[in-house]
Amino acid sequence: MSNDVLRGNFKTRDKVEIKQAEETLEDRFEMEAKKRLGGSIAFVSKKKVMWDTDKK
Amino acid sequence: MAKILLINPTVREEDVPRHVPYGIALLAAIAMEKGHLVQVYDENAWRQGDETTKAVCVADDWDIIGYGGITTTYASVKRIARIAREYAPQAVQVMGGGLLTSLPREMMSWIPQVDVGCVGEGFITFPEICDMIDRGGREFWDIKGTVSRKPGGGLIMSQMRPLMHDLDSLPFPAWELFPLEEVYFKNSQALFSEEGMLASRRLDINASYGCSLICRFCYHLGIAGDMRYEKDANGDLNVAFDQPGTYTRDIRYHSPDYVGALVKHAYDKFNINFVGFLDENLMTMDKFSGRTWMNDICNKWHDLGFAPKAKDDGTWTGIHWSGTSHATLCTKGVLKTMREAGCSHLVYGYESFAPHVLKTIGKGATRESNLRSFFWTLEAGIRPVPNQIIGFPNEDFDSIRMNMNAWDDLGIQVRPHFATPYPGSEWFTTYRERISGQYDGNMERFIFDLGDASSISAVISHNFNAVELLGLREAMLQLNYRRIDEYEQIWRKNHQIPDGAPSTLLSENMTGAFLRDADKVKSAIKDSERQDAVAEVTGAGGTH
Ligand code: B12
Ligand code: SF4
Repeated sequence: MSNDVLRGNFKTRDKVEIKQAEETLEDRFEMEAKKRLGGSIAFVSKKKVMWDTDKK
Repeated sequence: MAKILLINPTVREEDVPRHVPYGIALLAAIAMEKGHLVQVYDENAWRQGDETTKAVCVADDWDIIGYGGITTTYASVKRIARIAREYAPQAVQVMGGGLLTSLPREMMSWIPQVDVGCVGEGFITFPEICDMIDRGGREFWDIKGTVSRKPGGGLIMSQMRPLMHDLDSLPFPAWELFPLEEVYFKNSQALFSEEGMLASRRLDINASYGCSLICRFCYHLGIAGDMRYEKDANGDLNVAFDQPGTYTRDIRYHSPDYVGALVKHAYDKFNINFVGFLDENLMTMDKFSGRTWMNDICNKWHDLGFAPKAKDDGTWTGIHWSGTSHATLCTKGVLKTMREAGCSHLVYGYESFAPHVLKTIGKGATRESNLRSFFWTLEAGIRPVPNQIIGFPNEDFDSIRMNMNAWDDLGIQVRPHFATPYPGSEWFTTYRERISGQYDGNMERFIFDLGDASSISAVISHNFNAVELLGLREAMLQLNYRRIDEYEQIWRKNHQIPDGAPSTLLSENMTGAFLRDADKVKSAIKDSERQDAVAEVTGAGGTH
């Protein structure tokens, strides 16, 4: 398997590789929780929290 | 030879990427066959954000950057176009796909970075554009099927590109240019059947183009004979799609030999164990071929040794597959044949179980044919995927209750879509003013808003607004008849409709207009065997 995101029939001048962003525990939890949303499951998606509520 | 970068825009971000973009994979193969230098960046698969898209744009001296897709790729396409102009200013930007085709003039004005648009089918138009750019030419108006910019400002739509009929001359899609192992095979699962659930190496194929039906919410991407060119209200040449009385179709399919060779290629090269047929409606093709096409494809499956054999752990040798069916056009016999060749599930756009709604949507299906096909499919051992839609123009309390009854009786677990007027559909044309009114006259906002039809965007129901539809759907899911009955009383009071009178605000004129064509669809379905009969429904000329 290659990390090259560009695939084709020639070699490009520059290689572009994926920045294999490691899945964090937070990402995993939020993804799993989202799948089960409903019933008594509710959770906070931390990336969407607007910490400064005055901005709204 | 031109250096071409093809970018597959991001779509349906709320889900993992599941489908190699078939059109782009074919265009890449065609361009390579013509000798061009091609690279693919599958932005949708990698989901790496703008920084990677920028890096890709500067990774070489691109002559051409091409992108496109379905309507809901709009936001991504607009972003890619901006990045490409900034980071690869020398590249000619080519946009195509259903997104551009449904609204070519609007797209060219909303995305000013696009140099040339490919309207409709790209198989011949795209390589011709590439050749012209390679030769240093920029007179795109000389190439059929393009929309481009006049040197002094304004747009030129060239002549319409006729559809290609020798489909078997197409190369196989360049699947190898997409991250199959890294992304797509990991997301092979199709949670519609046991076999779909266990699929671990799935690839999709598109064996035919078009559908003989005229569902008024449906759009065929301008590649099904559904597109015409006409002068628009400003006197400019523009695209036109289904409208009452002007239905056109051109039914095309690959030969079973091509389909067999394609699947064999996918099996030999990528070791697949599942195939998803992307075809709009496999049954149209079967009926149209005089009931030979599906049968011959199934025979190929057996001949090639792909008819699956179950192993003890639930997996199999061979290749299971899935596709799309049609309630009225399927037969008990063909379903059985399909199951024996490995078909695991079939998507049915049942849409509704209310006869008065079904009559107006142009599907050529009835409550009875919905029910019949449902049981036939189950009996054959195939899982039907019973899609439902609410919010049709004449949706009312009766139709809502009829749907709930059917779900209850048939054990259907479904979260219905909302009837959504995607551009290119008949209902987009019919309701254009009304849609634009829901977005303060700004049609681009509507396009941005479009996603999965399970979220609400523009409402075309005459009886219910967006909030009502959302609430009604929730009550439907809970089979909460009491709440719906209670709300009906409030609704009747608000609209001054007495008990006993039909719960609808739709004028009789409008219902009549939808019904006139419904009769045509019905009679043509009945005896449609070949193109002449399809032409009766659609008014289209025959090709096969
Ligand atoms: C795969 C698929 C998807 C995939 C998209 C994957 C992908 N990246 O392609 C997914 C699953 C995400 C999807 C979702 C939906 N889809 Co869908 N989907 C399809 C399907 C089954 C196959 C598409 C395909 O490969 N066609 C075959 C190829 C050859 O055609 P093509 O891609 O259009 O390419 C040709 C031209 O358009 C052109 N072209 C395309 N790209 C480019 C680029 C360039 C540079 C050029 C020059 C030319 C060009 O050249 C190609 C050769 O002629 C079609 C049905 C069908 N058979 O077409 C429906 C279809 C496209 N989907 C449709 C719909 C309605 C939806 C949904 C809205 C349904 C829903 N559940 O709500 C959702 C949207 C969800 C969302 N949130 O975005 C409609 C039309 C949509 C539209 N308005 O554009 C279709 C036509 C089905 C139908 N008849 O109703 N879909
Ligand atoms: S049967 Fe399916 S593909 Fe054909 S027009 Fe209706 S929704 Fe579209």
